[in-house]
Amino acid sequence: MCWRAGIPDRTPDLLPMRLHPLTSLAAAGSTAVITTAAASLPLSLAVIGGALGLSAVGGTLRRLLPAAVAVLVPLCLSLLVLHGLFFPEGQIILAQWGPARVTAEGLSFALERVAQVSAAVLALLVFSFSVSVPDLVAALSVKGVQGRFAFVLASTLTLLPAITSRLERIRQAQEARGLVIRRGLLHRIAAFRLQAVPLVSALVEDAAVRGAALEARGFGGTGPRTSYRDVPDPVVERWLRILLVLAAAAAVAARLWLAGG
Amino acid sequence: MSSPSLTLPSPAPAAARKRRLLEILGALAIAGTYIYLVLNQPADITGGPGSASALIALSGFLVGAVLLIVAVLPALPTSTVVLIPVALVLNIVLGQFVGSTLVPFYLDAIGTVLIAVLAGPAAGAATGALSSIVWSFFNPTVLPFAAGAALIGCLAGVAARHGLFRRFYLAPVAGFATGIIGGVVSAPVAAFVFGGTSGVATGAIVSAFRSMGDTLLAAITKQALISDPMDKAIVFTVVAVLVYALPRRATLQFLFVRWHRVLAGRNSGQDS
Repeated sequence: MCWRAGIPDRTPDLLPMRLHPLTSLAAAGSTAVITTAAASLPLSLAVIGGALGLSAVGGTLRRLLPAAVAVLVPLCLSLLVLHGLFFPEGQIILAQWGPARVTAEGLSFALERVAQVSAAVLALLVFSFSVSVPDLVAALSVKGVQGRFAFVLASTLTLLPAITSRLERIRQAQEARGLVIRRGLLHRIAAFRLQAVPLVSALVEDAAVRGAALEARGFGGTGPRTSYRDVPDPVVERWLRILLVLAAAAAVAARLWLAGG
Repeated sequence: MSSPSLTLPSPAPAAARKRRLLEILGALAIAGTYIYLVLNQPADITGGPGSASALIALSGFLVGAVLLIVAVLPALPTSTVVLIPVALVLNIVLGQFVGSTLVPFYLDAIGTVLIAVLAGPAAGAATGALSSIVWSFFNPTVLPFAAGAALIGCLAGVAARHGLFRRFYLAPVAGFATGIIGGVVSAPVAAFVFGGTSGVATGAIVSAFRSMGDTLLAAITKQALISDPMDKAIVFTVVAVLVYALPRRATLQFLFVRWHRVLAGRNSGQDS
């Protein structure tokens, strides 16, 4: 439970030109959609290269890479083993060990899927690691997205590191009371319970206090809100967002039309 | 805290009707997408670029999940909304940790089921869908599973409402049944969007079925039927342990727990 890698952090302003958060989101989303719709290995590889390059330029590569590795390595390994060794539809057999057959079709399918999923994942991760969460929340509120969604998003991203450090404190406290994690499933379950119960109990208690404070400040109200954070949204970027969304929709329509025809 | 505000106007019936409509549309989008994928079983999953099916699975399930969030989130009391980020963090931290181990389980729904037991099926569904969307910020592969996560939250709430958390031994049974439904719904996503599973251990199980000549969708569905029921039985049991370990004051603040007598021996403080 001590997972910490890959939490998108506040971003330093290393990019020469800072885009509106929704423009970045539209760019990442449409890139992922177009790559999936195109299902083309060269395009997927180009997107992977582009995403890594953009992240390097933006100064987020060092934080992005561990997160990407944590997500993509198990997925890619799973796909390569699954399709590389067991692909009953494959005809060209490259090697065989008992029921496992390495086929050219299987390897090619696995490689295409790995590239396609990696491109979509990296495009979205570049957005997550470059966006400023307060700006995104403010931009969503301006566009009429409920404050509650923005609260859940911002609160989760800020709670993650807080809860991992709290869990560490609980573990230390339980160890001070004599908790020793021994081998064996039952011991581990008991140790898990000794840490999880105080953690969840404290979190529920905290949430109740926070809820009362927020309610007293009109959190449940449905009227218009005033935001003190101004996120510039140039006209060019508004048009760019429309173009990106249209491009993604066109790619989906083209793929569905080709599949139907 | 879960009582309506005394100073703010109550929501109009028209807004409630609109939310109900969105809920129904969301459920229809999810059900329609699933039925389309299973009935058509696009043969191109392994034969060519199966991205048309991937796009249908992605868009149908995502639209459904977003509609559910839009419908449910505004209607939730503040005490539940503030608990959702906590549930999301529990899902993400545990799910990411277990997903990286060689165990063929996920354990990524403990927070969702916890909310469902404390605040009901609608809150559970919204938490499940939100969990996938927020988690996708740093693990985009979970995004397509938003509808499945919403379904698990909803079913957990229904189980709690019908008293399956009042007897400790019934919780894993409810989890097992929820896992069967959740697994069957999630399998087409794994098959069409990823062409496999995202974990090494679950991938090994799919490989075993593929080596017996199963189609990809059949192999992934069978794997889901092995992993998901066990996984959800564990999750429901863990949540039962957690909710009974919580102080009465904490659980009784939720109207759903008081109103539907969700937990055994905890209703002496009933004030509704």
